[in-house]
Amino acid sequence: MTESVRQRNASAWLIPNDGTRTNHRLRADMHRYDDDDEVDIVVVGAGAGGSVLTQRLARAGWRVVTLDAGPFWDPDTDWVSDERGSHSLYWTEPRQIGGETPVPLGSNNSGRGVGGSMVHYAGYTPRFHPSDFHTRTADGVGADWPISYDELRPYYELIEAELPVAGQNWPWGDPHTYPQHAHPTGGNGSIFLRGAHAAGIEARVGPVAISNGRFGNRPHCIYRGFCLQGCKVNAKASPLITHIPDALAHGAEVRSGCMVSRVLVDDRTGRATGVTYLRDGVERRQRARMVAVAGYSIETPRLLLLSATKRFPAGLGNDHDQLGRYLMVQGAPQTAGRFDEEIRMYKAPPPEVSSEQFYETDPTKPYKRGWSIQTVSPLPITWAEHVVAQGHWGAVLREYMRDYVHWATLGALCEFLPRPENRVTLADEVDRHGLPVAHFAYSMCDNDKQLMTAAQKSMERILSAAGASEMMTIQRFAHLVGGARMAAKPEEGVVDANHRVFGIPNLYLTDGSVLPTQGAANPALTIMSLAARAADRLVAGARSGPEMATVD
Amino acid sequence: MTRRNETRRPVTPQDRGRFGGFDVLDEVDRWDEVTKREVLGRLAPGTTHKFFTSTEAHVAVALLDLLLAQDREPRIPVLPLIDVRLADGETDGWHYDDMPEDGDAWRQTLAHLDADAMAAHGCGFAELTAEQQAPLVQAVYDAEQWHGLPAKHVWSLWTRYSCTAFYSHPWAWNEIGFGGPAYPRGYKNLRIDGREGWEVPDQAPDDPVPFADRVEQAHDNHADLVGRAPDQR
Ligand SMILES: Cc1cc2nc3c(=O)[nH]c(=O)nc-3n(C[C@H](O)[C@H](O)[C@H](O)COP(=O)(O)OP(=O)(O)OC[C@H]3O[C@@H](n4cnc5c(N)ncnc54)[C@H](O)[C@@H]3O)c2cc1C
Ligand code: SF4
Repeated sequence: MTESVRQRNASAWLIPNDGTRTNHRLRADMHRYDDDDEVDIVVVGAGAGGSVLTQRLARAGWRVVTLDAGPFWDPDTDWVSDERGSHSLYWTEPRQIGGETPVPLGSNNSGRGVGGSMVHYAGYTPRFHPSDFHTRTADGVGADWPISYDELRPYYELIEAELPVAGQNWPWGDPHTYPQHAHPTGGNGSIFLRGAHAAGIEARVGPVAISNGRFGNRPHCIYRGFCLQGCKVNAKASPLITHIPDALAHGAEVRSGCMVSRVLVDDRTGRATGVTYLRDGVERRQRARMVAVAGYSIETPRLLLLSATKRFPAGLGNDHDQLGRYLMVQGAPQTAGRFDEEIRMYKAPPPEVSSEQFYETDPTKPYKRGWSIQTVSPLPITWAEHVVAQGHWGAVLREYMRDYVHWATLGALCEFLPRPENRVTLADEVDRHGLPVAHFAYSMCDNDKQLMTAAQKSMERILSAAGASEMMTIQRFAHLVGGARMAAKPEEGVVDANHRVFGIPNLYLTDGSVLPTQGAANPALTIMSLAARAADRLVAGARSGPEMATVD
Repeated sequence: MTRRNETRRPVTPQDRGRFGGFDVLDEVDRWDEVTKREVLGRLAPGTTHKFFTSTEAHVAVALLDLLLAQDREPRIPVLPLIDVRLADGETDGWHYDDMPEDGDAWRQTLAHLDADAMAAHGCGFAELTAEQQAPLVQAVYDAEQWHGLPAKHVWSLWTRYSCTAFYSHPWAWNEIGFGGPAYPRGYKNLRIDGREGWEVPDQAPDDPVPFADRVEQAHDNHADLVGRAPDQR
């Protein structure tokens, strides 16, 4: 298995094996294009979607330049084993939030720099279920994708092997196995397994993109629990170590510190011609035959709105007022239980154990779709948020906090439904470059609220069965996706089944913003698999002549 | 190598804690250099304010002490940690569309709190006793709107910054038994009730006091402070 991975993606073998984490030689020797070179494609964003696309196209011999607003991270010198000190990992450019239930961003949302949000994501990598691709037909809610699960399955398998993913045999959705065995569980995971067993709920260890054993030159996880602060060990997968090294080895240029300010479109031909970007405060321009945007569900719609021209006055891909809409978050209530034993949930990776027993629509219930349950293991600062959310402050806050080692925490991911009014628009406020910032409005529908309540009950059931004496729940959100969704026709979305923006033949979106529904699964594996599929399509299209595969 | 300094007693804020003898700083030699620099920097933050004016700092210290029950020394220097952050513009980026950006929001809300104190007691917030301050703070928690701002977003601002500063400090980790930085050392004893050789079990000298009783006691003390019957909480 690893042999074939190495042949198609040598990233893990391009990392040093001397205890340091970054191949500086590879970065220093990186191919460098001139702004005036018309490269084959410029990719905006080196996160989950952008990095996979970059690696695949570089392997296919394309001349690729990938621009990322953030740094080219070195885990040795840039990351710390500390919660507070990890602030620089987050996208902290100004954004406004509103709507009936505004969604706080910052640490809990997008990242910046090469590796994208996966640098500080938890590391769960479940697949979507087949039903996620046709919820409109099956359940009368959400949307049908223009592609099916079967079209994505081979890409799930490829990416699972490249990350690689560790976990028990998976009984839910399309049952499958994982390339690596499950990790041992820490206190939190053990409580979940014990409670689930006692409550008659199925739970499994995994699936996590944390190598169980050495993988190439990536070492084994040391169970230190700082996955959400960036893995200094290189055990947890992020594109910085799973796809970018191989991309560089195949001639891609990854240019960090470059904030793209506009996708350039020639109004005469209606085609993209490159991008403008800001580097050290200076505006520059990269010419390209094609452009792919993969800047995360907020920045991608924002960039397309910022790129309006006379011919596309409402922004690119927005001829039908679809851009920025149907943005989704998952309802992510977290329920913690108090045990007499010491759980010490800060040990071991936060992602340990999951259950997808409640994932699908239950016909006996008044709501549609469902949720999954996972261990979450907040560190002290985040744990304080849990306690504060109960209304505690002062002496009571301190007393609960002193009890930290006795608590175990589960989190649910509820499939909130896509709604047109949940949307990114441009605010009046501008950022330090003078560009209007994104305003993100979010409101929940009734189905969403019912799922939150039901999910909380299911977690309480597990924790009580495990022996919890007291419980507390905090209402949170997680995982923004959508905002430029894939659809069968331009009236219903922004990109087609090949990720091409409707109305602009050489502009593509290859990040989480294209998701029409989100299931109750964490999205990164699906985003990477979609990007791998999009790359295959582009390469196949190029072989049969320019854009032959995707003519209007 | 871990060296336990037998003469130095682990510091916990206000000498409160349940992990007698546990000092996360005993492990410093086993932390990586970058993390060490970052965390140890918090032990000696500057004493001059770069963001807050001295009037604002006065009110802020009183508010933060109250929110975090820092009613005596040794205190974690929460204000300087917040001040540095606001001076550097190190915000979370996002803000509620019905709130100003974080720095402005801090200035405005401190001024409002001082005005509330003036209206109720005829002197500034910092001059009041904790028993006088606490009901004013609780009133913000209980309100819908407060001086034209959504009170729950004000509460979120105050608690987010104060808890982030407080629980980033090694003394707070000593208090709650958290192991702190763990690279490159990692953890070996993952199971329930599993401890590393250097971790200390949860146990206070006056135990057994069950958790429920301790919380009950804290609730009562807190209720006294905010001036209401415990059952109203
Ligand atoms: C705390 C946390 C925990 C998470 N846990 C999980 C998990 O366990 N499992 C999971 O599957 N998912 C998880 N996620 C979500 C997952 O990380 C994201 O869904 C995924 O990385 C999104 O991929 P993307 O390609 O859309 O964007 P990203 O990976 O965010 O990449 C976008 C990149 O674009 C860059 N960029 C943006 N705008 C511009 C611009 N204008 N110019 C240049 N560059 C730009 C950014 O710097 C960034 O690097 C988590 C996220 C967070 C924040
Ligand atoms: S727990 Fe493992 S995967 Fe997570 S950050 Fe630590 S070493 Fe990396």
